[in-house]
Amino acid sequence: MTTTLAGGRAARRQTMRRIRPRRSPAVPLLLAVWAGAVAVLWLWWHNTPSIADDTGRILNAGRITGLLAGYLMALVVLQMARVPALERRVGSDRVARWHAMSGRYTLSLIVAHVFLTMWGYARQAGKSLGDIVQQTVDSVEQLPDMGKAAIGTGLFVVIGLSSIGGIRRRLPYDAWYHVHLLTYAAVFLTFWHQISTGNDFAVEPAAKTFWYGLYGAVTALVVWYRVLTPIRLNVRHRMRVEAVVEETPGIVSVLISGHKLHRMGAEAGQFFRWRFLAPGMRFSSHPYSLSAAPRPGMLRITVKAIGDHSARLRELTPGTRVWAEGPYGALTAQRRSRGKVLLVAGGVGITPMRALFETLPGAAGDITLLYRANTTQDLALWDELAAIAEERGARLMYAVNSPEGERPDISAENLQRKVPDIDRHDVFMCGPPGFAQSVYEALRGAGVPARRIHHESFEM
Amino acid sequence: MRKSHPVRRVVLASAATVSAVVLLLSLKPASDPATASAAGAAPQQTAGQRPQGGARAGSGTVTGDAAQTQYGAVQVRLTVSAGKITEAEAVQAPKGGLSDQKTQLAIPRLNQAAVTAGSADIDSVSGATYTSEGYKKSLQSALDKVEPAASGADGPAAGSSGPAQARTVTGKAAQTQYGPVQVRITVSAGKITEAEAVQAPKGGLSDQKTQLAIPRLNQAAVAAGSADIDAVSGATYTSTGYRQSLQSALDQAGD
Repeated sequence: MTTTLAGGRAARRQTMRRIRPRRSPAVPLLLAVWAGAVAVLWLWWHNTPSIADDTGRILNAGRITGLLAGYLMALVVLQMARVPALERRVGSDRVARWHAMSGRYTLSLIVAHVFLTMWGYARQAGKSLGDIVQQTVDSVEQLPDMGKAAIGTGLFVVIGLSSIGGIRRRLPYDAWYHVHLLTYAAVFLTFWHQISTGNDFAVEPAAKTFWYGLYGAVTALVVWYRVLTPIRLNVRHRMRVEAVVEETPGIVSVLISGHKLHRMGAEAGQFFRWRFLAPGMRFSSHPYSLSAAPRPGMLRITVKAIGDHSARLRELTPGTRVWAEGPYGALTAQRRSRGKVLLVAGGVGITPMRALFETLPGAAGDITLLYRANTTQDLALWDELAAIAEERGARLMYAVNSPEGERPDISAENLQRKVPDIDRHDVFMCGPPGFAQSVYEALRGAGVPARRIHHESFEM
Repeated sequence: MRKSHPVRRVVLASAATVSAVVLLLSLKPASDPATASAAGAAPQQTAGQRPQGGARAGSGTVTGDAAQTQYGAVQVRLTVSAGKITEAEAVQAPKGGLSDQKTQLAIPRLNQAAVTAGSADIDSVSGATYTSEGYKKSLQSALDKVEPAASGADGPAAGSSGPAQARTVTGKAAQTQYGPVQVRITVSAGKITEAEAVQAPKGGLSDQKTQLAIPRLNQAAVAAGSADIDAVSGATYTSTGYRQSLQSALDQAGD
């Protein structure tokens, strides 16, 4: 008995030595973004000696909104450049939410900028607000690079409209995605009028250099991480579909073979964006998590057939070429700060949890997996999980609806009863939004601090 | 996993942005510190107004010193008659990029203001503050030179211009859809040394078009020395009227 305990403690110490939680760089990054915004406002302040009248105030409000929009536009693109520091450290889900939020805000700034500037010019020419349309037409005709800027702004508005909740849900994913790609064209088109008509860039060569630097850096990052890095990855690893396995009704696993796949740097809990080069599938890529730790010659994803794309996966034939981008995602062992870990999976959210369950270092009894599904038939990958639990001495629990269809009670009290020292665990969680929200609240109620609940959600 | 409140977020972001912009705008002084100091230097300006105040019948053309601005130099030339500014023009003004437009916008207004005020105490054109400041400086330096030039008027003409045979001719007003255009030219030794529009379309969009087109047409007239000048795109009617009036002025000058 004593020896077992001593062995357990030694093993735990061994494990803890490998646990070095890496702090997310989100806070320093956000501080840098704010500092940049302050610098942009300072630029305006510095170049504006005085404001004579209301027309001047309107025009200067137009300048401020324009400068901020120009600055944020670069960051909105940067957020989608798939920079590893953002995707793997901050987390793809969080960055995607930042992107959506700052995109909406930037579009509002653009609209305000156009309106205020044209209103100001109209007033300057002795016209009223009613002449703003004519004034806009005149300005587009007369000012340098304004034709391009007008087209770019039109694109931004279309992109913004296509992303409004109701419209986006009605659009096929591919259509929405390709409209969204027009952002690059819109940013390019609107860039030039900033330089040629922007007061602050005409006055301040340093500001112009900074602007070129900002946009140049973003362009370089996009080209590097969205174009060159995936090409290198796919040329090196040459992935193909090996087999498609039906796990439970509606959930399939796709086995993918390739060259030296363990060298891709993928960790358990991460995902790739997959593009299967089969008819009807090659034009869209979808994020699916790895459902097992990468092996030298094999990767596996497990997918629930909910959309067009995921339903077609089961028809994939072995040998189909695969184009993957990744690995992305921050829901990995790096987040861990404690020796004990509780994994919570809801439905097909089991995929990253299954990979973590297999690979998270830990002694017997350190790792617990709680798996929620509608019925026992829906517990995909159950046999594997049971085998892993057996081998590692990990705990495996499931919660399904009662035969009458009643939902299991996942409350703070129940969690505490099942896992008595739950407040000393790190919790990794993956599942549908409603499930994740209720489990989060139960966990907080059971005394788990928010910083130790690790969760990825692609809800905007 | 904290609860998100989209509406609250939108309201907060909008309110924060609007208040920040309003705050920044309201913290800016209503007038330029440079203007304020110029206004403080009142004695200097009085000195500049001497020619006007004095009964001396000083006339001729004076060119002020070029004043450097962030966008380039501004240099003002005045035509002074009986101690009064009868004409003001910029012989140098910022060029290139947006500056072209600002110059086109500001210079005609500043010229007019200089003639009206008779001094360098004129308002800046909003949106062209630097150009306005430079203009005022050069205008002041031109005014400072007026007296010596005026006192020298008895002797040989000071400055390069001002030969006796220079004369001003005003063409017939040409009617256009938007209003009449009338051109006045100064002819010296058979050459157009200056051209200006004494009448041009006004009101609504016309103001803007006039501001855009007339300075270009004036310049083109001096450069071409004839009425064979290109129309300014976007201001075709004004350009045509200008050419007609210019031709009529040239006809008179030729007589």
